[in-house]
Amino acid sequence: MNDLVQVEIEEREGAEVVVARLTGELDISGAETTGRRITEAVPSSARGVVVDMSDLEFIDSSGVSMLFALARRVGSRRQELRVVAPAGKPVARVLEIVEFERAAPVHEDVHSAVAEIA
Amino acid sequence: MRALPELFDVRIKARSIAYLFGAGAILGLLTLVFPHSDEVNDLALVLLASAAIVVAAVVWASGEHVRDWHIHAVLVSGVLIVSLANYYAGPSTLYPLLYMWASLYAFYFFRPIEAFAHMTVVAVSYAIVLVIQDPDSAIVRWLLAVGTPLLAGLLISSLLRRLSDRAQLLERSEARTRLVLDTAPDAFITLDRDGVILSWNAAADRLFGWSASEAIGKTMRALIVPPEFGERHDERRHALVTSDSPLATQNFEVEFVRRDGSRFPGEATVSKVDIRGEVFVSGFITDVTERLRRDAEREALLREQAARAEAERVADLVGSLQALVDAALAHRTLDDILRELVAQVRGVLDADAATIYLADEEERLSVGASTPGEISGGAEFADTVAEAREAMLSRDDPAIEGGALIGVPLLAEGEVTGVLVACATPPRVFGGEDLTLLRLAAERVGLAIAHARVYEREHKIAETLQRSLLPDHLPTLPGLAVAARYLPAASEAEVGGDWYDVIPMAGGAVGLVMGDVAGKGLAGASMVGRLRSALRAYALEGHDGARVVEQLNRLLWTEAEESQMATMLYVIVDPAANSVHWVNAGHPAPLMLVDGEPGFLEGAGSVPLGVLPFPTYEEVSAPMTPGSTLLLYTDGLVERPGENIDDGMAELAARVREAPEDPDALCDHLLATLVPAGGAMDDVAILTLRNLPVPERFSAEFPAQPESLAPMRAMLRRWLSHAGAGEMEIAEITTACGEAATNAIEHGGARGGTSFQVSGSRNGREVELAVRDQGSWREERPGDHGRGLDLMRTLMDSVAVEPAEEGTLVSLRRRLGGKGGSA
Repeated sequence: MNDLVQVEIEEREGAEVVVARLTGELDISGAETTGRRITEAVPSSARGVVVDMSDLEFIDSSGVSMLFALARRVGSRRQELRVVAPAGKPVARVLEIVEFERAAPVHEDVHSAVAEIA
Repeated sequence: MRALPELFDVRIKARSIAYLFGAGAILGLLTLVFPHSDEVNDLALVLLASAAIVVAAVVWASGEHVRDWHIHAVLVSGVLIVSLANYYAGPSTLYPLLYMWASLYAFYFFRPIEAFAHMTVVAVSYAIVLVIQDPDSAIVRWLLAVGTPLLAGLLISSLLRRLSDRAQLLERSEARTRLVLDTAPDAFITLDRDGVILSWNAAADRLFGWSASEAIGKTMRALIVPPEFGERHDERRHALVTSDSPLATQNFEVEFVRRDGSRFPGEATVSKVDIRGEVFVSGFITDVTERLRRDAEREALLREQAARAEAERVADLVGSLQALVDAALAHRTLDDILRELVAQVRGVLDADAATIYLADEEERLSVGASTPGEISGGAEFADTVAEAREAMLSRDDPAIEGGALIGVPLLAEGEVTGVLVACATPPRVFGGEDLTLLRLAAERVGLAIAHARVYEREHKIAETLQRSLLPDHLPTLPGLAVAARYLPAASEAEVGGDWYDVIPMAGGAVGLVMGDVAGKGLAGASMVGRLRSALRAYALEGHDGARVVEQLNRLLWTEAEESQMATMLYVIVDPAANSVHWVNAGHPAPLMLVDGEPGFLEGAGSVPLGVLPFPTYEEVSAPMTPGSTLLLYTDGLVERPGENIDDGMAELAARVREAPEDPDALCDHLLATLVPAGGAMDDVAILTLRNLPVPERFSAEFPAQPESLAPMRAMLRRWLSHAGAGEMEIAEITTACGEAATNAIEHGGARGGTSFQVSGSRNGREVELAVRDQGSWREERPGDHGRGLDLMRTLMDSVAVEPAEEGTLVSLRRRLGGKGGSA
């Protein structure tokens, strides 16, 4: 059926930073595909990637696992991963519980995340 | 009555008196030639005779200048000359004779009184001569001398008068007859028995160009009969004059020749006239050119009238057949065409019954339609006609009972598509004219049937395509019940462009679409396909309703080949928020039933798609409490010919009010009460959605597939919301339950389980959820480091995992309003 989650890729700072904007609900039905799409969208020349989850309505453990895996892959390429999840939203709550901060910084907005990488 | 003299002109009188004088002088001279008495004075007599001759010559020469009194004078002088001759010649029997001549002349040419005057002169002269010659003669002799010429004159004059009366009558009669014949409009010709023209009237002159003086004396054959008919003319005349009957008449039409050589058709009426053994032929000849022309004109007129009547008859036939062709083009069904056709054929041919046999793909014939009444032997005859491939008649065939049959093959593109057969009972028998008419009919009918067949095939394709574009099953939506119906229009019309769709969306919302594309048939169906795909894509991208509709409008405006238009209603029902949002692009307003009271969702109305390049669409929302029902439909449900659409909508509201709550039952009820028995004029599509009341407890079974997670969460959110959970509580409990369900799908599914159950109950402020699968629980998935279980434990007050033989039961508990929301 339809994809619950949508991924929009955007390049910033002269292709040095890739922003992946996720909307919808991220569960096991779309986690793997989403991870692959983000990985493929990041060239080795880029300095880092921002996963923007400001408008993501739902994330579960499989989505979180995808983010952890993405952080490892990005790190092994000497690139930076930063995620955006405004506090008080369900997604931020889940990231907090699983202590995602240990894997990558969590930002309140895209602007600060992009600025940090640049 | 005028006197005799008037009958004679003065010239005749003059000449006759000249003859009289001449004859008398010659007679007198002759008496001198023969031996006679010496006493006769010869010289005197010669002088007298000479004088008479001179007078005669003068009178003759005078001619027309002579007057009546000259004649009288001459006659008196003649009597004097005779008297003198008598005196000189002596008594002779010759002289009384001369006196008598004079008397006769007088009586013949003069009036009686003048004649008597002359007779007196004669008598007196003769008496004087006698007295002088013999003074002693007796008185008797004297009286005799005077009386004899007198009596003789009276006698002769009486005879003459009678004779001349008759002559005059005859003359007048002839004059009248001639006048009649001369003024007669028809030529009148008299011939003798040898064909020589005896008379020729003025009309004959005008008709033939020959004058009477030119014609009379010539033969009719030479003058006016065409050479090639000469022989026949003579034979005919001969037969007429030799016929035994005294009054034989012939009447015939024959060609005649004019003087200028031109010919004309004439009608001759000839009669044999027998006058005391002398046989004549008289005939009237009339120029019949004009009459023949009029006859020909009348005949042509009659023929034209007959031809026109025939043409009108054929036109009537063609007209009624044309109506059939029109009917076929108007997409009547084949059955309708055939039924009407056989009725028409029976009427036009005055037949007892008519049947159309249709050929299948293997060219086997079977009855397609028939008027009441069976045609015995019709099927066999139809086979014969199909084989012959031409219209034919069957008369008095011993193998066929019940009268004459007529049959014609129906051809389309050279193939026999059917055979039309009609029968009649004697004395009605089909003829060549019927064959002609039926052949004419078959040409059009064959095409009509071919059209109808092509149309029915296309109709079927379009309908199949149309149905393929509608959801073949509606999604299961937690907390919602949906039902839909699609009813194609009655088969006369084309498959319409109605469509509907149900799109489950993130967060448990559901999109409902009801649309009507203006195009019909295959074109309409394909446009529905494009709109449907595009709408699903836009909707799942997460655009708001107004934006989705605007994008569809762009699609239709820019991509439709010809100006295509569609009305559409796009509704988003959010069961978690108990709200409904809608955008209306020129479509009939949706109806919402709240607490048994129907009301139309007005507002948000805008123009249909494809009308304007940049129309404004707005999204309007309203609360949709649990237990309410939403109804979307197309105009086919509320529009009826001759009725106001407002009446139709009022009727719809009334039917919805009395209908059962269940969406399926509601749809059935509406179709049963609002669609006419013979089917709707237009397509009818209905889509109903009921926001089910939220129960205290629930239990639902889902397929063990990742795709079940979103609906499960939607259901759960709605239930939790109804149970009074806050926004973050809903998110957290849903996340925890989702982890349990994900486990159930991964592990239960791996063991061959096909489903998992989720149930929920509330006990005061405490919510308890249970997820049961058919697999064994595993602590960890590879790589997730037990995050699922961590999440559940963190988010819920208690988590219990109970492995069982038939599967695993995960129980989750949480007290609402207890555990802090966003930590």
